[in-house]
Amino acid sequence: MSDSTATQAEVKSQKRTLAVIDCDVHIQPVSYDEIKAYMRQPFRDMFNLFKGRGIFDNPLGRTTIKGNTPSGGPIASDPNHLREQLIKPNNIETAILSPWIYADFFSDPDFKAEINAAFNSWVHDKWLNSKVNYDGVFKASITVSHQDPNLAVKEIERWAGHPDFVQVYLDSGSRAPLGQRQYWPIYEACERYGLPLAIHVGTDGLGGNSRFTTGFPNRYVEWLTLVPCNFQAHLVSFLTEGVFERFPGLRMVLLEGGTFWLPGMLWRLDALYKSFRFEIPWVKKLPSLYVKDHIRFGTQPMHRPDNDEHFRYLLEVIDAENIMMFSSDYPHFDTDVAAEIFPRNISDQMKNKIFYENAKAFYNL
Amino acid sequence: MASHIVCKVSELPPGERKIVELEGRSIGVFNIKDSYYAIKNVCPHYKVALCEGTVTGMPLPSKVGEYVWGREGEIIRCPWHGWEFDILNGKSIFNPHKCRVATYDVTVEPIQENLEDERVETFHVTVEDGVVVLHI
Repeated sequence: MSDSTATQAEVKSQKRTLAVIDCDVHIQPVSYDEIKAYMRQPFRDMFNLFKGRGIFDNPLGRTTIKGNTPSGGPIASDPNHLREQLIKPNNIETAILSPWIYADFFSDPDFKAEINAAFNSWVHDKWLNSKVNYDGVFKASITVSHQDPNLAVKEIERWAGHPDFVQVYLDSGSRAPLGQRQYWPIYEACERYGLPLAIHVGTDGLGGNSRFTTGFPNRYVEWLTLVPCNFQAHLVSFLTEGVFERFPGLRMVLLEGGTFWLPGMLWRLDALYKSFRFEIPWVKKLPSLYVKDHIRFGTQPMHRPDNDEHFRYLLEVIDAENIMMFSSDYPHFDTDVAAEIFPRNISDQMKNKIFYENAKAFYNL
Repeated sequence: MASHIVCKVSELPPGERKIVELEGRSIGVFNIKDSYYAIKNVCPHYKVALCEGTVTGMPLPSKVGEYVWGREGEIIRCPWHGWEFDILNGKSIFNPHKCRVATYDVTVEPIQENLEDERVETFHVTVEDGVVVLHI
């Protein structure tokens, strides 16, 4: 009798502490001097000029939840504090780290490459190959800029094979839709080294990148609402250019670009494929059929309709159980908290796949 | 199953088609390189007259970035939305297992009086000429 009670309690406790893999955790240096220490001249001095999104910097005056770490740095700069604020309370088994860099705001490919390389070295030294990662909870991204794919490949090759660098990370702000063939050396490298590709909101439509809306939105709220338009453009580009036919081993995750637009966009693409297949004869099946095999979507920002049944139905329509992976976007102002994103009518099976199993398989953890 | 004479062989040369109404059905009969095929004249998409579309070839499934033209004269594109169908088997190109148009057998036979159907025009034919017969 007591055994059975104990087992029930165990099961209950396991339920409460569902393991989580967080696919989008952001970190930053205490001071940019940490990054500059890795940079060569003249880039080190140039890096004083500007860091951010320019006209679409966050009007809250901060990009993160408010507060500093006990050690005095900005939030997400102290691994121990990050453990206390994010990892422990959410039972996170693995956190995929990426600094927010915004190198792609700039136009100079060499400068971008230097900035990314410096950040990657800093991630390696401070977070991965450091005693702060004693339990291996931290994995990280190799950040590259796509403007000069050859430089990107060189940077990937600097880190490929390191067990804790688990993906290649691109800013979704670009000069052309990212499925186009000028970018393929990057995808070839991803496939060759077995590294998934992450595409994350960044400097979309800003700086040296192409606009993705008609002209300029007037305000940040408009820009951030419309960012999914850019992700739609990238996704359709990947599917129509045949990237997954050319690189059948490539897997990709789209972060922060939304998900509930997905069925409408795929229905439209599939319908038009029936008329215009002749333009893209290398696409050998309905374009939507490539998604489940190759593409995952981060959950953040998770939006919910008022009616929980509508929400459950939307998740079913997009096959969320198989294509979504939990991402908190910690510590940004719109971060999601794992325990709060799903209403009660979502099954444990779906939650477990989204919180854990899908990412475990995707990253071979 | 009934057989109907469509026309004299000489009236349906290679690359040509005839659309006939038989037993309440509209059917397109095609001569492709002296082989004969028939498909229902109804696109499964919006039920429009598929067989009035362009008979053409298609870019074959290819490596990424390559265009390989093939199947010349064997593909029909619906005149409305451009969906491609294989005239030889009625299957759509975009989803051959799920989307297809009905096909019918066509034969070429020597003239026999008893084959002639009351409902279609009869022809004066020589023995060397045959008739195209549609079986529905």
